[in-house]
Amino acid sequence: MVATRSPSQAKGEELVRDLELPIDPFAIAKGEGIEVVAKRVRGASGMFIRVGDNYVIAYATDIDNVGLQRFSVAHELGHYFLPGHGDHVLDANQVHKSVAQFRSKEPYEIEADQFAVGLLMPTMQFRSALGKMGEGFVAVEELASLCNTSLVATTIRVVTLSPTPMAAVVSGQDEVEYCVMSESFKNLKGLTWLEKRVPLPKRTATYDFVADPSRILRAERAQDTTHLHEWFGTGPDVTLVEEVVGLGRYGKVLTVLSLEDDVDVDELDEDEGLEESWTPRFKR
Amino acid sequence: MSPSSDVFPERLKAARALRGLSQSELAKFAKLQASAVSHFETGARKPSLANIRKLADALNVSTDYLLGRSGEVSGAPTADVLFRDIAKLSADDREVIQQVVAAQLAAKKGGAKDGGDT
Repeated sequence: MVATRSPSQAKGEELVRDLELPIDPFAIAKGEGIEVVAKRVRGASGMFIRVGDNYVIAYATDIDNVGLQRFSVAHELGHYFLPGHGDHVLDANQVHKSVAQFRSKEPYEIEADQFAVGLLMPTMQFRSALGKMGEGFVAVEELASLCNTSLVATTIRVVTLSPTPMAAVVSGQDEVEYCVMSESFKNLKGLTWLEKRVPLPKRTATYDFVADPSRILRAERAQDTTHLHEWFGTGPDVTLVEEVVGLGRYGKVLTVLSLEDDVDVDELDEDEGLEESWTPRFKR
Repeated sequence: MSPSSDVFPERLKAARALRGLSQSELAKFAKLQASAVSHFETGARKPSLANIRKLADALNVSTDYLLGRSGEVSGAPTADVLFRDIAKLSADDREVIQQVVAAQLAAKKGGAKDGGDT
């Protein structure tokens, strides 16, 4: 299954086609003659400023996470390299006044995020590295270290490109914020989507973990086995490995769900195929 | 908001005429694909800021002129800003923007005095 790429992600990948991991967004900015400055004040995670013919990226350093900072710089580079982003500007001398008039932010910000993913974790190099790594959270950590990217961004990328069934859930408080799944996970027979804002399933390691905010803050970890039905309610009868990590000051929890080592994905599909042959179909 | 997408094609045509370049000559000088200038001038494609910068350099005009922020080919520079998390923009951020703009303008002024090309 080929993962779909947005044009913005493809643009990011094109720029680093001949480079090896880790990609250095600071060096790319420098190569373009763009000045990059650290801003220690709280507020926006990054800003892209044009002054006449000169360009400056200011990125936030108040949160001490190198992966996040590199992603911010890569995101701002997206505003420089992506077509049409020059239209989406505020007059720097009237920022206060302009903010109130600012509209349709989202498409440009989503595009710049896609660009950053393509730039820092380009499909070709990332997939090659992924093939050499282990499974589940081990692979995520190794790749985050290789690419110098944040755990969450790396997890999403690993899951998107993983050839094996794998899902990641980011939770805050006691509910699911969002869930991403690999193509082969989505293809598990009878699986339903895990909706945003649904309560966390109670008989899981993640549920126990979020009950203690100090564990999140200390970036503790936990691991257990769980059942696919616990999380998704439907799908094949299969046990999953559930790996949980606290995301520190970010205040959220990351859960990686993957198959146990000895599960044969092909057999799983065959069993489900048999089951499907005698299960009545219902129109949605 | 910048009106760049409306003004840019006309400004690009005018600047190219001023320098007496064909579309393919300009594309070559700016290191862009041969069809890019034509697409930009008809408005079929929107340029990136990286493209605008290359074109401004090749045409020896200011970015502000191409973006329609200045009526003169090389007038006083203006400043724009883009950022994420606009809702999180703080008073401190505004201060950072003003500092960056002031520093860049000062550097440009210093460069001009020395006869340097910043």
